[in-house]
Amino acid sequence: MEQARSSWVIYLSLGCALLFMLLPFPLEWRVIRPDIATLTLFYWVLALPHRVGVTTAFFLGIGQDLIEGSPIGLSSLGLMISVLVLMSNYQRIRQFDGVQQSLMILVLLMLTSGSEQWLRNGLEMPGLPWLGLIGLLSSTACWLIIREMLRLLRRYYEVN
Amino acid sequence: MQQTAVDVVATVTSIVLAPVDAWDRLVAAMNSRRDLQEEVLRLQQENRVLKGQSQRLAALLSENARYKALLRSAQLIDDELIAAQITAVSPDAARHIVVIDKGVLDGVEVGQPMLGEEGLMGQIILTGDRNSRAVLITDSAHALPVQVNRSGLRAIAEGSGMIDRLLIRHLPAKSDIRVGDLLVTSGLGGRFPNGYPVARVVEVVVAEGEAFALVTAEPISALDRGRYVLVLQRTVGSGAES
Repeated sequence: MEQARSSWVIYLSLGCALLFMLLPFPLEWRVIRPDIATLTLFYWVLALPHRVGVTTAFFLGIGQDLIEGSPIGLSSLGLMISVLVLMSNYQRIRQFDGVQQSLMILVLLMLTSGSEQWLRNGLEMPGLPWLGLIGLLSSTACWLIIREMLRLLRRYYEVN
Repeated sequence: MQQTAVDVVATVTSIVLAPVDAWDRLVAAMNSRRDLQEEVLRLQQENRVLKGQSQRLAALLSENARYKALLRSAQLIDDELIAAQITAVSPDAARHIVVIDKGVLDGVEVGQPMLGEEGLMGQIILTGDRNSRAVLITDSAHALPVQVNRSGLRAIAEGSGMIDRLLIRHLPAKSDIRVGDLLVTSGLGGRFPNGYPVARVVEVVVAEGEAFALVTAEPISALDRGRYVLVLQRTVGSGAES
């Protein structure tokens, strides 16, 4: 009935999350920057798996690569794999409490960044240092905040 | 596509950062007249000193050119500089890549060296029309041929992925290299012209029984500070490669 309504909210929030990557960060502290774009994508997949899926993940990955200046498609693969996992388990993950869900998100983030590292190895590009794991933890810590913010947004604009 | 992206991303960044820039300008505008006068005075003095030094440099360069002509060696390369500003740092935490605000339209080309105030910083890897990306010498995928200024010993300085460290591996343990030595570009490979300061040796480790020394050096340029950089453009003859 109200299909395709307010879908701009989804793309706007993903766009804003990408803009977060552009904010200046000291060179040595970039590893701890939370990956807001990926978390936003995970939220929308979890909330509206019939609207946001692998295609969105693909294009978000392209966006990330263009911003980073890395080979195009490098981030897409990891995002698409984790979105697939998320889509096949969304009903279960929705039932988890905060801590369990955060841990699940951590696993998905590790899957995302793990596939990216694997591709980087294949392309003989430098991979993340071990310190990069801190970034995964800081992203995980942001999950509940992002979830609540986007949930408010989704309810206010009645995105479905 | 990536070349267009350089420009698009840079434009979006400047829009996102517009409030920050405006604030900086406001602060600068509120600097008292006195401060500014003092600074102008200081800069004028510095400029006079530098001009004095460059007079000597011109004389030395022409002298050097004459010597080289006598020796029939490679023609002296005349370097032209493009002043640029670092506008962003790539969010990719595994790389040391920065964005500068000059591009193809300003004469920037892939492979041109980027200098800081004190020494070499990196090189251009991707150009857009008005913006470019440059990789810093500390990026773990970067390496450059250097020479110890004191002894003339040649080596390859690799980026370590840490912003204040370069590594020299595969240098025989008996090599003439000491803590405090200045490393300058050697000009081998033809990418970087010779003689630009790169780093200073901070540690030489020779493990017992090892054939090679592990040398650590600290870049001369403060790679994570400062906004202003120079891109080296070669104009006259590239004799180094012939």
